[in-house]
Amino acid sequence: AITRGEVILSEKDLEGPLWELEMALLESDVALPVAESIIDRIRKDLSGQHKKFLRSTGDIAEDALRDAILTILSAHTLDFDDYVKGHDKPVIVVFTGVNGTGKTTTIAKLAERLKESNVGVVIAAGDTFRAGAIEQLQKHADRLGVKMIKHDQGSDPAAVIYDAVAYAKSNKKDVVLADTAGRLHTNVNLMEQLKKISRIIRPDLVIFVDEAIAGNDAVERAKLFNDAVPISGSILTKADADSKGGAAISIAHITGKPILFLGVGQEYKDLRKFDPDWFVERLLER
Amino acid sequence: MVLDNLGSSLKSAIQKLANAGKIDKEIIDDVVKDIQRALIQADVNVKLVMKLSNRIKERALTEAPPAGMDSREHVLRIVYTELVNIIGKATPIALEPQTIMMVGLQGSGKTTTTAKLARFFSRKGLKPAVICADTYRPGAYDQLSQLCEKLGVMFYGERDNKDAVAIVRNGLKETQKYDVRIVDTAGRHALETELIKEMKDIWGLTNFTHRFLVLDAAIGQQASEQAKAFNDAVGITGVVITKLDGTAKGGGALSAVSDTNTSIAFIGVGETPDDLERFDPDGFISRLLGMGDLKALVEKA
Ligand SMILES: Nc1nc2c(ncn2[C@@H]2O[C@H](COP(=O)(O)OP(=O)(O)OP(=O)(O)O)[C@@H](O)[C@H]2O)c(=O)[nH]1
Ligand SMILES: Nc1nc2c(ncn2[C@@H]2O[C@H](COP(=O)(O)OP(=O)(O)OP(=O)(O)O)[C@@H](O)[C@H]2O)c(=O)[nH]1
Ligand SMILES: [Mg+2]
Ligand SMILES: [Mg+2]
Repeated sequence: AITRGEVILSEKDLEGPLWELEMALLESDVALPVAESIIDRIRKDLSGQHKKFLRSTGDIAEDALRDAILTILSAHTLDFDDYVKGHDKPVIVVFTGVNGTGKTTTIAKLAERLKESNVGVVIAAGDTFRAGAIEQLQKHADRLGVKMIKHDQGSDPAAVIYDAVAYAKSNKKDVVLADTAGRLHTNVNLMEQLKKISRIIRPDLVIFVDEAIAGNDAVERAKLFNDAVPISGSILTKADADSKGGAAISIAHITGKPILFLGVGQEYKDLRKFDPDWFVERLLER
Repeated sequence: MVLDNLGSSLKSAIQKLANAGKIDKEIIDDVVKDIQRALIQADVNVKLVMKLSNRIKERALTEAPPAGMDSREHVLRIVYTELVNIIGKATPIALEPQTIMMVGLQGSGKTTTTAKLARFFSRKGLKPAVICADTYRPGAYDQLSQLCEKLGVMFYGERDNKDAVAIVRNGLKETQKYDVRIVDTAGRHALETELIKEMKDIWGLTNFTHRFLVLDAAIGQQASEQAKAFNDAVGITGVVITKLDGTAKGGGALSAVSDTNTSIAFIGVGETPDDLERFDPDGFISRLLGMGDLKALVEKA
């Protein structure tokens, strides 16, 4: 069906290029259901469309993919720095996520970032469960010269965070960064505990921390954490470990919330504002 | 353990087979596609999945089913044997004096698993000692010493020394009279060359009986590359999959053992020192595919 240098794309023309793009998404750790829904979308959008004779179907499909991913990643925006600047003080930020993703380290990085722009920070040692958790955060707080509020190990995390908020109010601090213990989304008691923390503290922001090296499970846990205590945005750590970080797409897609930052190393400076364009370029580069 | 919804897609594929009577190519294509989906969703490396599924397809189409086995059982049996080929048996653990080195990516569960292993060996009547070689992560010393104190396990560490190699050298001397000595190292990944070198230097201090790679059950496509890097550096003798008490399937571990020619030793199923189990290949395969006991099928043949 060639008219004036154009052809009409059929599903059959698209099959090969779309298959390749789907494989690329899967190899980049975009979860399977998410990859499939993106590819289906593109198939529907493109088939039946006219294309210029000289453009390859593969290029057209790739452009469509780029757009689809950017749409997911830019669906909502939240600028952390602007939010903190514009919001009533103290801004209460609670960090959630499964075990070992990098919550505590990310709090230290954000504390450093805020400190540098002269924002007063208090840290709450809300992981009262894991061995060494309070000591870990204390060491960061000492290094950064930031106040940390703690109770004994085994005590009520909501109470610690509550005290940190009270401290911030009476000492004119701008932001409370509250750590919580890592927990798996399948652990009903611990997820209930998280809801309780949220009820008592009423955080302004809830930030879900996951890792860029995670695979398909990213969808499951983002969904269950977001269901338990609705998140404002996510941070993906360990993006320096050579993964393509497709988990960012899975998480943004399933939660409808923005990715705020990427963790790109173990030092305080290793926190990068999430830039969808940069991310998509990296994802699609060969 | 949570067994899951990805199984449902596979189950429907298997159902198609059951209804099909005789094996034809179209149905096998269908079923193999569904097996691909299940494995990819379990985070098995995509290239490995393609290789595996091609083999399964080829065998299903060319091999005659054993007597008394219908076509459905035949395909399942092939899937099972191909997976067993990769996974093998659990890494053998001798109940005798030995030294163990724990390595892995940041936050994968090394320190927690170190404590779990100390507990495992002491229950078997061996005297464990633990050495903290993580001089990097804040609070690493406290985390491990607290865990050991609770368990009544000998702990060696040097709080203010930044030289992990020196600490392990000293620690190995100090713990000579203990049966099982376990060295917990800092988290690192393949691109952190300084840290990889440090790990190699620790490895060079003694002839470690085991070098365990601790892998998070949720790790995605990076599992292969990372496992290869650790294997190149210190020669992995076994994998520990952690956090299998969640919904992650642990397919990364399958890629890891496939690429390093090792096996899986233990699985972690919780945060407490008792939440450690010896690896069971059949349970793991069932979890990967989201379906029940395939072993019985094979034994029927
Ligand atoms: N390479 C790299 N490592 C990171 C990054 N973020 C955190 N880590 C490391 O990941 C490990 C776990 O980080 P934590 O901050 O303790 O994680 P957590 O989520 O608080 O862990 P739990 O409290 O046990 O659930 C530490 O060794 C950190 O140094 C990152 O962006 N890149
Ligand atoms: N639910 C669950 N949590 C686990 C398991 N194994 C470890 N964890 C948790 O995972 C988090 C990280 O564990 P660690 O032992 O600190 O990990 P690590 O590899 O030593 O971390 P780094 O030293 O920072 O590289 C902690 O919150 C542990 O309690 C497991 O099998 N199940
Ligand atoms: Mg923490
Ligand atoms: Mg550790």
